[in-house]
Amino acid sequence: MNYTSNSELIDLTFKSIIDALPCYIMIQDQHFKILFANQAFKNHFGEDIYGKSCHAVLKGSRHQCNVCPVRESFKDKGVHITEETIHLSNIKIVEMIAFSSPLFDAVGNVIACIKLLVDVGTIKDSQREFVKLGQSIALLSHDIKNILEGLKGGAYVVEEGMKDHDTQLANKGWAIVSKNISEITRITQNILYSAKKQKPNFKDTKPWVIARQAAYLFSEKASSMGIQLLQELNPNVPAMKADPSGISRMLGNLIWNALQACEKDKVKTKHVIVVRVDFFDNYHFMFEVEDNAQGMKKEIVEKLFKEYFTSKGDSGNGLGLMVVDRIVSHHHGRVEVLSKKGAGSLFRVIFRRQDSYLEME
Amino acid sequence: MGNRPSKIVIIDDNSDFLFTMETFLTRNGFNVETASDGTTGFKLIKKSRPDLVMLDVMMEATYSGFEVCRLVRNDPDLKTTPIIGISGMADEIGVKFDNYEDREYFTPDAFFDKPVDKDALLAKINDLIS
Repeated sequence: MNYTSNSELIDLTFKSIIDALPCYIMIQDQHFKILFANQAFKNHFGEDIYGKSCHAVLKGSRHQCNVCPVRESFKDKGVHITEETIHLSNIKIVEMIAFSSPLFDAVGNVIACIKLLVDVGTIKDSQREFVKLGQSIALLSHDIKNILEGLKGGAYVVEEGMKDHDTQLANKGWAIVSKNISEITRITQNILYSAKKQKPNFKDTKPWVIARQAAYLFSEKASSMGIQLLQELNPNVPAMKADPSGISRMLGNLIWNALQACEKDKVKTKHVIVVRVDFFDNYHFMFEVEDNAQGMKKEIVEKLFKEYFTSKGDSGNGLGLMVVDRIVSHHHGRVEVLSKKGAGSLFRVIFRRQDSYLEME
Repeated sequence: MGNRPSKIVIIDDNSDFLFTMETFLTRNGFNVETASDGTTGFKLIKKSRPDLVMLDVMMEATYSGFEVCRLVRNDPDLKTTPIIGISGMADEIGVKFDNYEDREYFTPDAFFDKPVDKDALLAKINDLIS
């Protein structure tokens, strides 16, 4: 290729470098209109962006953002950094760090700002994984401490019963040991599930069939605890693309938590747990696990999924809910918790109906 | 006190723990009464006037162990009753008794982390009651 001058070559080289950078770069005027954008930016937001405002292109909004590094750079001529959530044109939402730096004219006035956006989604994901890891270790430690207490206590009662040839006492002790063995089994399974970086094995699955199987697995335990486990399953809810073992574990953890809540409730004499599958609205369906135990205080409900909070070490809520959260997020669903102190709790997991995507198209 | 066995009230919402501790302490010569929540537990303390209270710190229903402890300490008739706090979450809730500073809020005479060392517990109970 022949270039007319060195400066043209330099311009082309700089343009290539700016276009090739793995981040979005744009230059904005004082009205936040885009004057320039690199190719990476245009690839995601389209070519027709010049003259449009930054908030309209990046966030689809007619209003300026509450926090805007460019505005600050125009104001104080300094460099500003913010974290932003950006909606890419393909519906994907990404977390980015935005750097804004002023561009000056010959006499030191800010004539434009250069804004650089770097995708930090992967770093944020890793950060969240570390937080989860820390939380899971903390939860595990007290879950295991409580199980150890149960095993040691149960074993002591068995020994005392045997020493005195008191079969009834020994049996009571054995029931405590046995209960704690099932708890450690459950925790171990949840640890394994949390630790595995496996991809869910998606296949066409009928929600009511998984719910029926999950409820069946707990029917004997519920019956031995004097708790009624009911099923209200709507077979008309269409099949979903799901990992059946994951959904089954999710329901299992919710049923387990409901059983624990009922067992702990010494106020009511009759306990009922309902496992439900039904339509949520035209586009979604839901799994529900509802109990009539003592419910939770509002502040506990608010913390449940934010911190994988367990209000009580031996309830097993924490790790179980962490696994529930992971499975639900693998299936792009969401969880709602409705709870009233003294009345009971309802865990609702909502998924998009597969056929609703077809309807929308 | 004469030969009357010392009376201990245990308050914990874990029925297995209550049963195990009741068995253990009864077999060690104590008169044990139990409650599975804070409200019932405090009523029991007021009624029974125990020689010592064992208190689970984290109870969900009604009063937590913290609140029961505060109620006992604010009651002129009960305030000197020895209290042993027990929790499986001592580290998480920051109430490791050895390092505990905020004595205005939670004032047990001893604190045990689960799983409880029964010999150490027995020694501490005897120490506090005597």
